[in-house]
Amino acid sequence: MKTILNFDWLRWLSIDAAKNVFLVLFIVIGILVWLLPKDYIYEGLENPRWWHNLKLWATGVLAMIFITYVLF
Amino acid sequence: MLNNIDYFIVIAYLIGLLFLGLYFRKFVHSSTDFFLGGRMLPFWAIGMSIVVSDIGALDFVGVAGQAYRHGIAVGNFDWIGSVPAMLLAAFVFVPCFWKSKLYTIPEYLGRRYNESVRMIASLTWIIFFAFNLGVIFWSSAVLLEELMGWNEWVSIIATAIVVGLYTFCGGLTAVVMTDVVQMIIMFVGGGAVVCLGFYKVGGWSGLVEKVSAMGSSYENHFNLILPVDTQTPFPWTGILFGLTCVMSMAYMIGNQAIVQRCFSAKNEWHAKASMIFGAFLKMMIPVLVLFPGLIAIVIHPQLEDGDDALPTLIRTLLPPGLRGLLFAAFLAGLMSSIDSVLNSTATLWTKDIYEKFIRKGAPDEHYLIVGRVATVAILVLGVITSPVSDLFPGIYVAIQTFLSIFQGPIFSVLLLGIFWKGTTQWGGLAGLVGGMVSSGLMYLFKGSLFTIEDPFLYVSWWSFVTGFIIAVVVSLFTQSHPVSRLYGLVYKLNQPQTEGIV
Repeated sequence: MKTILNFDWLRWLSIDAAKNVFLVLFIVIGILVWLLPKDYIYEGLENPRWWHNLKLWATGVLAMIFITYVLF
Repeated sequence: MLNNIDYFIVIAYLIGLLFLGLYFRKFVHSSTDFFLGGRMLPFWAIGMSIVVSDIGALDFVGVAGQAYRHGIAVGNFDWIGSVPAMLLAAFVFVPCFWKSKLYTIPEYLGRRYNESVRMIASLTWIIFFAFNLGVIFWSSAVLLEELMGWNEWVSIIATAIVVGLYTFCGGLTAVVMTDVVQMIIMFVGGGAVVCLGFYKVGGWSGLVEKVSAMGSSYENHFNLILPVDTQTPFPWTGILFGLTCVMSMAYMIGNQAIVQRCFSAKNEWHAKASMIFGAFLKMMIPVLVLFPGLIAIVIHPQLEDGDDALPTLIRTLLPPGLRGLLFAAFLAGLMSSIDSVLNSTATLWTKDIYEKFIRKGAPDEHYLIVGRVATVAILVLGVITSPVSDLFPGIYVAIQTFLSIFQGPIFSVLLLGIFWKGTTQWGGLAGLVGGMVSSGLMYLFKGSLFTIEDPFLYVSWWSFVTGFIIAVVVSLFTQSHPVSRLYGLVYKLNQPQTEGIV
């Protein structure tokens, strides 16, 4: 029980592998964001411009966090 | 510690903020104006307000102290502990909530499940906010007394008058717009410490070089990912499962004080954009609150208590004028936390309790008055109960523990409610109550269940899992609401004639 609750069963995973888990998470989130329908992103706007594309915004933020976790 | 120019900056800041907040009273004509800013607010103001509400005066000192002791791993709370959750909120939860024209998160739970779930969620938040207010007041006032030499009651009364007046008069619009100014002040004040600190230690490369040369106990100070068996409270498993998957999600999606701002957006795009813009700003926060702790390792390596890092740095690094600016930044952190608590608690009380159970169907002006009276009552309660923190030093930890008991289970029912139309009202209720009981038991027996001293990340994860499983199992054996009742409350479940994803 204690082994499960304290995640001792993941002790074998190296720090580098753990870091890759975090990086893959950011990539997966980015892919999911880009899979969203285009209309959904602009909902609420009458005259959407390219800079209203929230997929670009989200990608920018994900790029920042991805680089942060690569560096540290 | 402060001289005349510092006092001038602080007093001018307080007066300016008061007048700015009072200016917005002319926009308040209805309860929607008071609680939701008339649903007219732009994304940039909401995004800034979300971020600044999340940072209190204590965070400046506390996070710098953690960074002094454990390194940049504490930055996980603002980076991976915010960004994924804010993106999920932006693209899934917030649009759904915004379209449903909600006032509160418990209101969503009431519509999706039943009134018992709404009542439990609402009362839990009200109790948390009410007790937390006194703690925020007192602990921040003690901090300001230590840092700047101001008497505790001067800080409390000055803050209460300024915040109370503009929140009472201007409602959420005043709260959000003053938060914009508070954020700018926090960035300027905090940025000044970081810039001067970096200049002193020879820039980023100088900082890394000097800290790394200080011995093996500092070898992990520039690592975000720490091993499972670390002695710090931040093993990577806790960060991934407890923080990223549960606590941050529950905070950014289920916390009334955060999400209420998104309800006030002028349209759905602004609601989504506010969260993404907030995520961008969140990426900057560790630079302000964490880096001073690392800089202090080089400049003051012999501190016994890590929490002394920032105060010592201020005393030795900042010239007159900048100290006043930083004091204003501390006050900004304090006031932005308090105005959020006041407005959110007043909304929860008025919409979830008063309007639902005490007086239904009253004119809108009546609920506006109730909201304002509740704001004053909560503020007075917070001021009066603030010294209790001094009598019971463990109350801060107790209140945070109370919140973490609630976080996992509430997120499990929110997640199931929005993604699985098969979740029933009894599944939601059982998942919420069962999850809370399980986290309570885990805290009770934490000594025999967990190996790290403060296992709040693990408790959050396992109570989420427990609540999730209970809700699924009970839902499989009970009758769900008719689909027509779930339109707009479940992701991708629309009324047949409407278009759009939610």
